[in-house]
Amino acid sequence: MILQRTKYFLREALDSLWHFKTRHFFSLTIICLSFVIIGVFLAMSNNLRFKARELTKNLTVVFYLGKDVPASRRDLIEDEIRRSPLVSSVRALSPEEASAKFIEDFPELKDIVLNLNANPFPASIEASLNNTGILTEKIFQFIAEVKKNPGIEDVEFNRDWAEKIGSLGRLAEAIGFFLGGILVLASFFIISNVIKLNVLARQSEIEILRLVGATNAFIRIPFLLEGAMLGIAGSVLSLFIVFLLIKLFPLYLGTSLGALREIVGFRYLTLVQIFGILFGGGSVGLMGSLSSLARFLRI
Amino acid sequence: MIELYHVWKRYQKTHWALSDVNLSVKKGEFCFITGPSGSGKTTLLKILYREVIPTEGQIIIGGKNIQRIPDHKIYTIRRQMGIVFQDFRLLFHKRVLDNVSIALRVLKTPARDMKRKTFIALRLVNLHHKIWDYPSQLSYGEQQRVAIARAVVNNPRILLADEPTGNLDPELAHEIFGLFREINKEGTTVIICTHDKELIRRFGGRVLFLHEGKLSEKDSS
Repeated sequence: MILQRTKYFLREALDSLWHFKTRHFFSLTIICLSFVIIGVFLAMSNNLRFKARELTKNLTVVFYLGKDVPASRRDLIEDEIRRSPLVSSVRALSPEEASAKFIEDFPELKDIVLNLNANPFPASIEASLNNTGILTEKIFQFIAEVKKNPGIEDVEFNRDWAEKIGSLGRLAEAIGFFLGGILVLASFFIISNVIKLNVLARQSEIEILRLVGATNAFIRIPFLLEGAMLGIAGSVLSLFIVFLLIKLFPLYLGTSLGALREIVGFRYLTLVQIFGILFGGGSVGLMGSLSSLARFLRI
Repeated sequence: MIELYHVWKRYQKTHWALSDVNLSVKKGEFCFITGPSGSGKTTLLKILYREVIPTEGQIIIGGKNIQRIPDHKIYTIRRQMGIVFQDFRLLFHKRVLDNVSIALRVLKTPARDMKRKTFIALRLVNLHHKIWDYPSQLSYGEQQRVAIARAVVNNPRILLADEPTGNLDPELAHEIFGLFREINKEGTTVIICTHDKELIRRFGGRVLFLHEGKLSEKDSS
């Protein structure tokens, strides 16, 4: 009996979806667009946060040396760094090695570097830190100590980067939810109005159902299913489009991204996010139908 | 079966569609409600299936005061009734089978019973061979017979018909009234609103006359 009823409700909802296909196409498009925007920003946020986590796993401090620092001073600084209990390994990079590394990372910029009269890259000492939950304060103390050595011009600590990238990820997520949220709200009103039009178009059918003794639920369920189906179909379509964008965007950009390709790693949404979007789509559709039925379907 | 006590219905401040209507219809009765257009026939029928709430008065159907039934439970009363309209009210995008079985579907009838009962109802109106047709493929007379099949498919205790032959020629109208008589013979209480005096005379039965909202009883002859 339940199966028979479910079949009937589904058939009624599908019939209506097909019957009013033009207006349903427009609502499907707007739902899809809303969730594509949320999906794209979520994927961006995922990638940035992933990169931030990666960076945190490999904490490094790079001390950039002045151009006229003699080799003996460089060795002294390297020794001091190596002695710190926070440091697991140290690597010194001459200006030539730094230049070669840059060209390896960004091959498309090779010509620019080679055409310069002088090597713009300073010598540096890269200290990899032990990854055993070291407090940032201790690292800053260590950096301050090393920085006292004459000859060190600049320091780059990748936890700063990790934090900056992490914040960027959170910002991307917030922008996605803000823009997507506005569109989801628009989808809600569109679904609500589409269902209202469907209710009005099927007034005679509703009338007949009422007169043959249908319950409120019996009349309303197909409309609710219709809204939910629209929402779910829109979100499924948006997931597919986000997937395509993630797969095709790197191809479109080609190799021009270079090392940046690693930063924007084009990872897809997590399973929780996928289910979240599907649930969101279904809910928007269902709520849109409900609001419409509450206002326009007086039984 | 059906009792109305001092039923009044006012549509506007001054227009009384029904004025102090008192009526008692016994189980299995065959009744006509007649009267000129605008006399309140349709309002009276709508009050019986609670599409319209009276301004005053009580309506008892099967021992229940239908005004006390909450709106969301009104289907319990409507499931005991079959209703036939002048404009048939069929679903033109659905087949004859679906148009008739819709009344069973709302009752949670199992699929096999639904098909069997629909076939029986369509055989009663002699349309069992058109089960897969769409209403647009049928004549007016056949469409009205489908509407009657839908009204009787769940074996209602009461059959209400509002000008059921208003759109049909005299021969078809006679055929449709014959069907109502057959349904009545099975024990269903039948109330028909019509202003076709010729048919009333030919089919006999109890005749109630409405004039300016006031109900009076007439001899069918």
